[in-house]
Amino acid sequence: MIVETGHYALVLALAVALLSSVLPVIGARRNDAGMMAFASTASVALFGLVLLSFSALTWAYEASDFSVKNVWENSHSAMPAIFRFSAVWGNHEGSMMLWLLILTFFSLLVAVFGRNLPESLKANTLAVQAWMAVAFILFILLTSNPFLRLDVVPAEGQDLNPILQDVGLAIHPPLLYLGYVGFSVSFSFAIAALIDGRLDAAWARWVRPWTLAAWTFLTAGIAMGSYWAYYELGWGGWWFWDPVENASLMPWLAGTALLHSAIVMEKREALKIWTVLLAIIAFSLSLLGTFLVRSGVLTSVHSFATDPSRGVFILGILTLFIGGAFTLFAIRAPALKSGGLFAPISREGALVLNNLVLTVSMASVLIGTLYPLVLETLTGNKISVGAPFFNLTFGLLMVPLLIATPFGPMLAWKRGDLLGAFQRLYVAAGLALVAGLVFFYLDEGGPILAVLGLAAGFYLIFGAIADLWYRSGFGKAATGIAWKRLIGLPRSAFGTALGHAGLGITVLGVIAVSTFQTEHVTEMKPGETADAGGYHLVFDGMNSMKGPNFTEQRAHFSISRDGQKVREVWSSKRLYTARRMPTTEAGIATFGASQLYVALGDPMADGGIVVRIWWKPSVLFIWFGALFMMAGGVISLTDRRLRVGAPARRAKKMPTPALEAAE
Amino acid sequence: MLFWIIIAVLTALVAALLLAPLMRAPKVVEEETSGEAEVYKDQLKEIDRDLAGGLINAQEAENARAEIGRRLIAVSAQSARSTAAGQTLAHRIAQVLVIALIPAVGLGAYLYLGSPGNPDQPLEARLANPGNNMELLVAKAERYLADNPDDGKGWDILAPIYLRSGRLGDAELAWRNAMRLQGVTAERVIGLGETLVQNNQGIVTEDARAAFQEGARLDPKNPRARFYLALAIEQAGRRDEAKAAFEAFSKESPADAPWQPLLKDHIAANSGDAPPAAPGNPSAADVQAASGMSAGDRQQMIRSMVEGLDAKLKDNPKNFEGWMRLVRSYAMLGEKDKANAALTTSLENFPATGQEGAQLVTLGRDLGLDVEGATK
Repeated sequence: MIVETGHYALVLALAVALLSSVLPVIGARRNDAGMMAFASTASVALFGLVLLSFSALTWAYEASDFSVKNVWENSHSAMPAIFRFSAVWGNHEGSMMLWLLILTFFSLLVAVFGRNLPESLKANTLAVQAWMAVAFILFILLTSNPFLRLDVVPAEGQDLNPILQDVGLAIHPPLLYLGYVGFSVSFSFAIAALIDGRLDAAWARWVRPWTLAAWTFLTAGIAMGSYWAYYELGWGGWWFWDPVENASLMPWLAGTALLHSAIVMEKREALKIWTVLLAIIAFSLSLLGTFLVRSGVLTSVHSFATDPSRGVFILGILTLFIGGAFTLFAIRAPALKSGGLFAPISREGALVLNNLVLTVSMASVLIGTLYPLVLETLTGNKISVGAPFFNLTFGLLMVPLLIATPFGPMLAWKRGDLLGAFQRLYVAAGLALVAGLVFFYLDEGGPILAVLGLAAGFYLIFGAIADLWYRSGFGKAATGIAWKRLIGLPRSAFGTALGHAGLGITVLGVIAVSTFQTEHVTEMKPGETADAGGYHLVFDGMNSMKGPNFTEQRAHFSISRDGQKVREVWSSKRLYTARRMPTTEAGIATFGASQLYVALGDPMADGGIVVRIWWKPSVLFIWFGALFMMAGGVISLTDRRLRVGAPARRAKKMPTPALEAAE
Repeated sequence: MLFWIIIAVLTALVAALLLAPLMRAPKVVEEETSGEAEVYKDQLKEIDRDLAGGLINAQEAENARAEIGRRLIAVSAQSARSTAAGQTLAHRIAQVLVIALIPAVGLGAYLYLGSPGNPDQPLEARLANPGNNMELLVAKAERYLADNPDDGKGWDILAPIYLRSGRLGDAELAWRNAMRLQGVTAERVIGLGETLVQNNQGIVTEDARAAFQEGARLDPKNPRARFYLALAIEQAGRRDEAKAAFEAFSKESPADAPWQPLLKDHIAANSGDAPPAAPGNPSAADVQAASGMSAGDRQQMIRSMVEGLDAKLKDNPKNFEGWMRLVRSYAMLGEKDKANAALTTSLENFPATGQEGAQLVTLGRDLGLDVEGATK
């Protein structure tokens, strides 16, 4: 009964979404307050129904109700409760439900927190959100219904894919989807503005918190996914230029560009058309990302859907939304007034450079990801575009971006003083070079280019600090006043600094790990030893363990340095019994930001086992940087400027018509 | 009933919620510019702050103020579009849409897609009350054994069930556990041997042969052990020895023993120039012969063979020979229902219009099965 109620709630949600995609648009055309208010009410109802439906499915997973086909296919009663829970979205149908839940959640947020928005913009935005809800509910009900029942109810489920039985999976997809779907709000705002024909600086400010939130979640999702792949797949890499990873990187690049161009639009009313285009592109790439993972066209380590008929449906959704958005854009964009002028060397100019580099690098990733697909479709040849292509194109493109990033915040709007900015930055650049050299000599070895890379990382960090330093007037004004000014700086200034510094920290991690990491592949027998990164490993032996739904062979290693035992790790190979599927659980010992990574290979006939040992210096910096960027996003979100306009709307809440008219 | 009440309440609630904004008095919204104006006013304040903080100079501040001022003017100059007439009618139509569409789409699509009345079946509740569901009983026993892995009796019960249902890996583990905990008996060790043979496509491997040997030592009269031991010799290609073993077995068995025809086949196969029968699933002849064994042996041997075949065909239904054998076996056992069921399933895989289907139909007619029912 719970399951069937959930199914019914989903069907009812379709009805609500259908109404909500039509009535508010009519209301906005006719300035009809009731019909526009319908959008908010319907968004609340829609979220409630989808939540009810999602909860029913979750209940079926928790209770191991194998009369539900989806539960039987992806769960097992012996799985720990946390994985029975995360298994809800560890499969195609459930992950689409999560997508839908987050979509309606964002609609709810717009309905509740969008009080300062003009009614017509809000109504149209929510209607566009409802169009997407209709498309996805139909997709779920017709091709991927998780509520289908089995007539003959099995006693046991088929278990969840073992590599997905991990805490990382419990967190990664929801974060990634919060990012992907978050861009749907920017997209809906863009479409609503195009329908309305009203696009001004205020629009950019209204969209910014949504873009920021989506960007922050996407940053978190990508970082989480990268770390999960790093420790779960046992290959020791943190980024594989895998199509699924690229699929999440592309909206991130577009979203980063959008975040920056929206600032120009907000401040100077310039780049309007470009910003709207970026909003459309960012969400289109999010949809494409969903499509790439879901259709199973791509062979990838973590895609779990393989059904071409669904792909056709998603292709329809893609064509409808992306094609429709670009058509509307093509019709409306020429009519938009262009905004303020600016000199090439100015804050605007720097942000244009940022956008240029980000979009070009995004295009290079897009080409590298899609080209093999297109080629295979047309000629049947399978080629793979791997790391060399991306490292060359993406890597080279990033260099000017890294150099230019600290300049941006230091240039004035409209007409900047490059020399002045340069003077302020050369201290940072000098310090960075010294720090890069120090780092280099501490770790020794490695090509000279690494020094420049490390210096670039430090330069970003010091540049971010320098920005805050000069803004507060340290050195010019008295220290006490400078401190006061620093505290008084807008939150977004701290967000900028944290974001840019985070990028620097990630660059440090990437450069350090790709130049200084060492890899040993040896065969070891109990009692044998190996050395890596200045540490001494002793292979103590193997034993067998039994988990709730797997058996494992664990190897124990003692790690010592200078004769002192410092750490011990277990590295294991698991066999998940229900699917007879093996996985590798790497043993990882963390020393500061560096890690010793031990993975087991195949056992040899003579009783030894192949052991792969990596020394990964400063590897955690890669994800620390992402944490900094996320912190920057969160702090920017709390900037009071993003809440402007709310007080005026509160006055309108009063029921007397006189006050309404006063607006 | 409760389900339909819940659905009715849910539908009514949603419809009522959606009707609320449409029931209010019609109202035209003036073109709002307050939101925009507020943003621009805030930008003006920001310039003051930046100027005070020394981030921009007076000239820049002046320019920026002028620019924002122009935006403010542009905003307030926008004329209000308004269309007052016809709202009451529009709201009426919208209300009708809500009242009609919500239940129509909701119920219509649900009745098409859903399974109304299909109860929830959480595993715990099903395990608490398994009824006659073999799978659940097994699952229950498995859970019990997971907590009490040293209960030999449990393994003893599960082992033959696993063997019959074709879960051979589990069966092997269960036999071994039962022997570890309850001691080695002829029944258990021979069961293990049969499991190993089935798991190796009918070939008596070295492990299996050792098991049968142990079984024969414990129970020298056990016909299954003797048969498989002789079969092992045959499969090893030592035809003379195999013939001698089958002959000795035949001689020591009662003349009317039901496995005599089977032994005769093997004796014949190992005499003269005829090549030995290829190892494979138990042939129909094996089953037929075994059907005359003593009551206990018959139960075990035939059931394990036929149901093992049945389970295999479920996994791999495109085996025409297998289906012929299964249908015939069930008919021979007098299990008419199962024979009919097997015939129906086999005809689903090999339609009666095809050549193989026609053979199945002929076989069904010969055996007096319900061919008309099966081809429907």
